[in-house]
Amino acid sequence: MTEKFDAIVVGGGPAGCASACVMAKSGLNVLLFERGQYAGAKNMWGGAFFGPQLKELFPNFREEAPVERFVTRHTFSFLTKKGSTTLDFKPAFSGPPSDNGFIVMRAKFDKWLAKKVEQAGAIVVTSMLVDDLLLDGGRVTGVRIGKEEFSSDAVILAEGVNGILAQKAGLCSGVSADNMKQGVKEVIALPKQTIEDRFNVNGSEGAAMEFVGSCTRGVPGGGFLYTNKESLSVGIVVELGALVKNRLKASDLLEEFKEYPDVARLIRGGKTVEYSAHLIPTGGLKMMPKLFSAGVLVAGDAAALVLGTGLILEGANFAMASGVAAAETVITAKKKNDFSETALRDYERLLREGFVLRDMHTFKETPRLLKNTRIYDLYPEVVFEVLENILENDGKPRTKAYKIAGKVIKTRVGFARLLSDLWAMRKMT
Amino acid sequence: MEIIVLVKEVLDPDLPPSKFSVDTKNNRVIPPEGIPPVISPYDAVAIEAALRIKEEAGGRITVVSLGNPSAEAVVRKALAMGADAGIVVSDPSFDLEDSYLAAHILTQTIRKIGKYDLILCGRQAVDWDRGVTGPIMAEYLAVPVATLARAIKVSDRSVRVERVLADGHETLEMDLPAIITVSNEFGQARIPSAWGVIKAVKEEIPVWSAKDIGAEDAQNKDNPGEGRLRRLYIPSYERKCEFLTGERPEELAAALVKKIYSRETASP
Repeated sequence: MTEKFDAIVVGGGPAGCASACVMAKSGLNVLLFERGQYAGAKNMWGGAFFGPQLKELFPNFREEAPVERFVTRHTFSFLTKKGSTTLDFKPAFSGPPSDNGFIVMRAKFDKWLAKKVEQAGAIVVTSMLVDDLLLDGGRVTGVRIGKEEFSSDAVILAEGVNGILAQKAGLCSGVSADNMKQGVKEVIALPKQTIEDRFNVNGSEGAAMEFVGSCTRGVPGGGFLYTNKESLSVGIVVELGALVKNRLKASDLLEEFKEYPDVARLIRGGKTVEYSAHLIPTGGLKMMPKLFSAGVLVAGDAAALVLGTGLILEGANFAMASGVAAAETVITAKKKNDFSETALRDYERLLREGFVLRDMHTFKETPRLLKNTRIYDLYPEVVFEVLENILENDGKPRTKAYKIAGKVIKTRVGFARLLSDLWAMRKMT
Repeated sequence: MEIIVLVKEVLDPDLPPSKFSVDTKNNRVIPPEGIPPVISPYDAVAIEAALRIKEEAGGRITVVSLGNPSAEAVVRKALAMGADAGIVVSDPSFDLEDSYLAAHILTQTIRKIGKYDLILCGRQAVDWDRGVTGPIMAEYLAVPVATLARAIKVSDRSVRVERVLADGHETLEMDLPAIITVSNEFGQARIPSAWGVIKAVKEEIPVWSAKDIGAEDAQNKDNPGEGRLRRLYIPSYERKCEFLTGERPEELAAALVKKIYSRETASP
C-alpha cells in the first residue's frame, strides 16, 4: 500500500488524542499509533486533572466522559511522625460541581478519548509500537513499524515520557534521573457509600488530598489520595535521582505512606485492585527538548511539558493544550504545503501565546527550588511543633503564639535560613 | 475455496481476577469496565488455519461472529489478520448462553451466506468451554465434522485432518463441505500487520438481525435444550493449615492417617 497520510500521531494519550482529534476534525487524513492493547492500557497518572482544555475540545465532556468524581474538596497536609497539620479547602457550591478538577481513571478515560478521535475521522491503530522515524535528508517523512513503512507530511510525537523517537529525531538527548519523578499508585476498592461517608462528599463530589512531609523520608515529592467512584487512588510521587542517592524504593515509601494514621484510616477495609508506576518529567523548562524540526513536532510528556508548582503537578491539561497547538500548526502547514522547520515554528509561538510555555516560564525556577529537602523533613515538623505548643495546656501560664513560633523557629531552623528559604520560595509557587 | 470462520468475543482471559465479578442475582458475568473483550484464542487459531489454507489453495474467507454488536471489534481483528469479509449476527432476542440456539442461529446465517466449502471454528470458546456449537451445526447442516484439528490439508473435494487425541493423534479424511474445529496445537495465530489494521478499519461490517437470517423463531424453536443455568458464582476455596506433632515418624504417620480419616477433614 502506498497511501500517504497528512499526519501520523505517535501515542494515544491526552496529547496524541487531542492533536489527532483537532486535525481529523479539520479534514486532515490522520493516523494514530498506540502501543498499548487499547488507548489507556499503558497510561497512568495520579487521577485528578484540570479540565479547561478538555472542555474546549469537548464541551459536553461532563455528560459524556467517564469522570469518576468532580473535585469539590482539596486538602493539603503536612505529615510528620508525630502527627499532621491539614489545610482543608472546600468551597460551598450552589450550582453544579466545579469545572476545575476531575478525577478520572486512565484506562476508561483514554479509551473514551480515542473513541472521540475515531469519531472525528482519524484511524486509531492499537498494539503497534513505532520503531523508528523515516528520514529524508534530515526531514522526518513518516514512521516505521517492523518492516512496514508509513509516510506522512508531519509526525507528531506524543509518545510520553522518555520518548525514544524524540531522541532518534535528535530533538532531545536523553533524560537524567534528577529531572524525573516516579509515581507509584494503588487503586483500593471501597463501597461508594463508605467513600462518601469517610470523605464527606456526596454524589459526584470528590476529594483530592495532597501530602508533604515525612512520608517521603526527605526525598523531594509527596503523597496523594483521590476518590474515585468506588475506589481510592493512593500513591506517592518522588524524585528519582534522590531515591537512587538515598537507596530508597518508591514502593516501600508507598507502603509506609499507607500506614500513616491520616491515610490508614481512609483506606481501611479496602482491597487493592490495581498497582501501577510511571515516570513524570518534572525538570521544567530546563529539560524541555527542542519542540520541532522539519516534519516533526513533540507534545505532552515527550516534550516534558509538565508544570510543577509545588502545590500542583499539572501534566494532562498541558499535554492536551500542546497537542492542540501542534495540530493547529500542522493544519496551517498543510494549507501552505510547507512542513519545513521554519514553517513549524508556529508551534512554539502558539505555546507561548497560550498558557503552556508561559506557565513553564513563570515557574521555571520551581524544579530547582523543590529540591530543598527542608520542605519535606523540617518545615512540616516546625508547623506541627508550633501548633502543638499553642494548643497544649500544661497547667503553666500561656505564652503568646508568635513567641512560641519564634522559639521553635529559632531552635529548629534559624531565622536567617527561614528567611532565605522564604525568599527563594517566593519564586516557586 | 469458500471458507467461513466463526469467532466469538469473550472476556479477556488475561483479566486480573480482581476485575472479574459476577451478578449472582441474574446469573451473569459483569463485564469489567475499561478492559475490552478479545477474540476467543482458539478462534484466532481457526482464522490462522483459514489464512494458511487460503495461502495454499486460494479462496475467500468470511468471518462471522454471533454476539453483541460490540463483536464488530473481533471481526475487525480477523479482517486485520487477512480475512476478506466479516459479518456480525446480533439481535436482542437471542439467548446466547444456549449452544443449541447459537448453533441454530449460526446455521441460519450460513444458509443466508449460501456457498461454502469449509467452516472453521475454535475447538471451544474460552468463556464456557463447551466446544459443541461446531458439531451441532454439522448435524443441522448435515455435513461431516472433525474436532480438535492440529493440521488441515485441503485437496480438490476433500480435506485431510489430523485430530488431537489424549494419547497421540488420528488422521481423518472427509468430503467437502465440512466443519472443522481447530485446536491450539495447530499453531500460533499471526499478529495483524499495521497496514492490515488500517485496511480493516475502513471495511464495512454488516450486522444481521434475527429477521435478516430468518431466525425470529429461534427462541421458541423446538430444540432439545442443554439444561438451564441455575447458579453462577465465583467459587471460594478455604485452606486450613495444621501442624501435627509427634516424637517418632511412626507416630506422625499414624496421626496423619487418623486426621485424614477423621470427620474434621473436608470431603473432596
